[in-house]
Order: sequence, then C-alpha cells, then structure tokens
Amino acid sequence: MDKLLTKKEGILDGFPIFLGYFSTAIAFGLICRNINISLFNTTLISLTSFAGSGQFLMINLLSNGALLFELFISILLINLRYVFMGASLNQRLGNDITLPQKIFIAFSTTDEIFSVAILKPQQLNFKYLFALELTSYSGWVLGTVVGYIIGLALPHNLQLAMAITLYAMFASLWGAETRKHGYKIIFIGMISALVNSILILGLNVAIGWSFVIAMISATIIGSFILRGEHV
Amino acid sequence: MFNINLPMIIIVLAGSIATMIPRFIPYFTPIIDKVPKKIKEMLKILPIAALGALIFPFSIIDFNPLWIAGLSGVIIAFILGYLRLNMIISILSSVIITYILLNIL
Repeated sequence: MDKLLTKKEGILDGFPIFLGYFSTAIAFGLICRNINISLFNTTLISLTSFAGSGQFLMINLLSNGALLFELFISILLINLRYVFMGASLNQRLGNDITLPQKIFIAFSTTDEIFSVAILKPQQLNFKYLFALELTSYSGWVLGTVVGYIIGLALPHNLQLAMAITLYAMFASLWGAETRKHGYKIIFIGMISALVNSILILGLNVAIGWSFVIAMISATIIGSFILRGEHV
Repeated sequence: MFNINLPMIIIVLAGSIATMIPRFIPYFTPIIDKVPKKIKEMLKILPIAALGALIFPFSIIDFNPLWIAGLSGVIIAFILGYLRLNMIISILSSVIITYILLNIL
C-alpha cells in the first residue's frame, strides 16, 4: 500500500509549479503595468482569481474596452474546464475534508495543481493539497508583484527559458504515466495536442474553447483505446 | 449591461466570481452523483488527455522562431519522466537545455 501523502511532498511537488507560475505571472504584472492598472489592483486580480489564461483574457478584454457582461461571460467560458477537473479531483478526496478545507481546494483548482494532484496514486489529503496549493499560489502572487516592479530587468533569454518549466512539468508527468500505463498513453496525449493545435492555429478557436474540446475529444477517444483496461 | 468605466474593484471581483463559479460547482453540487458510471470512468482518463493540450501548441508558439528549443525541452522532460527521475530534476534539465539552445541557435 502506498504511503500517505505529506506536507513536504506537497511543497516538493509545488516547487516546479511555483517556478512556472512565477515566470508566467511576471508577464502578467508587466502587462498590467503597461496598461496602467495600479499595483494594488494588479495584485488583487492575482489574489482573487488565481487563473493564468482567465487573467490574461481579462486584461486583454479590459484594454480593448469590453463590457463587464462580455468580460464575465468570456472568463466563465474559458474556465469551464474546471467543472470537469473539479469533478474528477473531488472523487479523490478523503471523507475527512471539512467545509473550509473544501472551499480552499475549490478556490485553488488550477490546471497545473489539478494535473499534479490527480496523478498521485494515493488518496488526496488536505495537508498535501494545502502545501501544494499554497506553494503554487505564492509563486503566482509573488511573480505578479515582481513582474510589475522589475519585470523588464530580467534577461530576455532567461525569461523565455523559464517559460518551459510548466510544459516540462506536464511532459514529465506524461512520461511517467506512459511508463505506468503503457504506450497507449502517448497517443491519448497526442490526440489532445493535435486537436488543440489544429483548433488554435488552423481555425483560430478561442483558447478556452479549444482546450475544452481537445480535452473532451481525447478523453472520449481515449476511453475506446483503453477499453476494459484499468487506469 | 454595464460600461467598463466602473471602479476597477468591481471588475476585479467580476473576474474572480466568473473564475470561481466553475471551480466551486463540482465540489458543492451533487453534479457527480448524477453522472452515469461510464462518464465517471472517462473522468479518470481526462487528466491524461489534458496533458497534451496543456503542452501543445503553446510550448512551440512561445518560443517561435526558436521552437526547437521549446520542443527539445519538452522531449527531454518526457524522457526523464519516463525514466522515473525526480520531477524537479526533469524540469531543471529541461530549463537548462532550453536556455542553452536559445543562446546557441
């Protein structure tokens, strides 16, 4: 039987997310400064939304003079994927999770935290999730502030190289899952990669939508590929 | 409908609420009890299916025209992950490879 997940493991697993979020949030802070949002409001956006694509979409729409209603609906749509992720994660929580703990977990369900947590073989306890989420959250908020204040001073190539961290994290998970469940896992990942790329590059579908479509179509095809196998 | 000339705090809160509605629904509504077993099975494949779309196409686009650097970083991390190396080692190796390629390409 697998050992129980610990706080330390949460911090260790959160560290790569911290790095990835930190570098992405630097870009966010920088853009907010460029479109004259105050440091206070910029930080508040990261504190209250904790969402990469959603926040970039938000300031993009803001600077293009969108209506509040449009802004609200677009952000809702781009974040629709969290319904699926949350449903999946919720099934893996222990029964001893309290209401405030559940609120915290729901608040911090991001793509990256979800992917790392859900692929743990053990049952998910609050200690582990709290450490994982707080580590990631601090990267996001700190990066936003740092980006706002000093973003431009970082060497360009270093900023760019740090952008690989999140992709590297997903690729490493993908490799580990392939080892665990066999080569078919490579194809399932490739299907969603391909669908997402075609939708975004070929058909100019909005990022939120293309991600949802790619994820769901690869899941459906994947369930046929893996029919009868235990995942 | 509102105009965007509202105080910034309203806009910030609207963004937060729009983000949190989909995040909270699955934890606080019995949405999952109502879905058929077949869908529940599919939810197990979902995280694996998400990985590909989380990596592509943006690991390529972000580095364009030096996309080779991004793709190499992804491939290195995949191989090291497959070899069961610690995730932090996979990621650091990937950053180093990407950084070197960005500088020599």
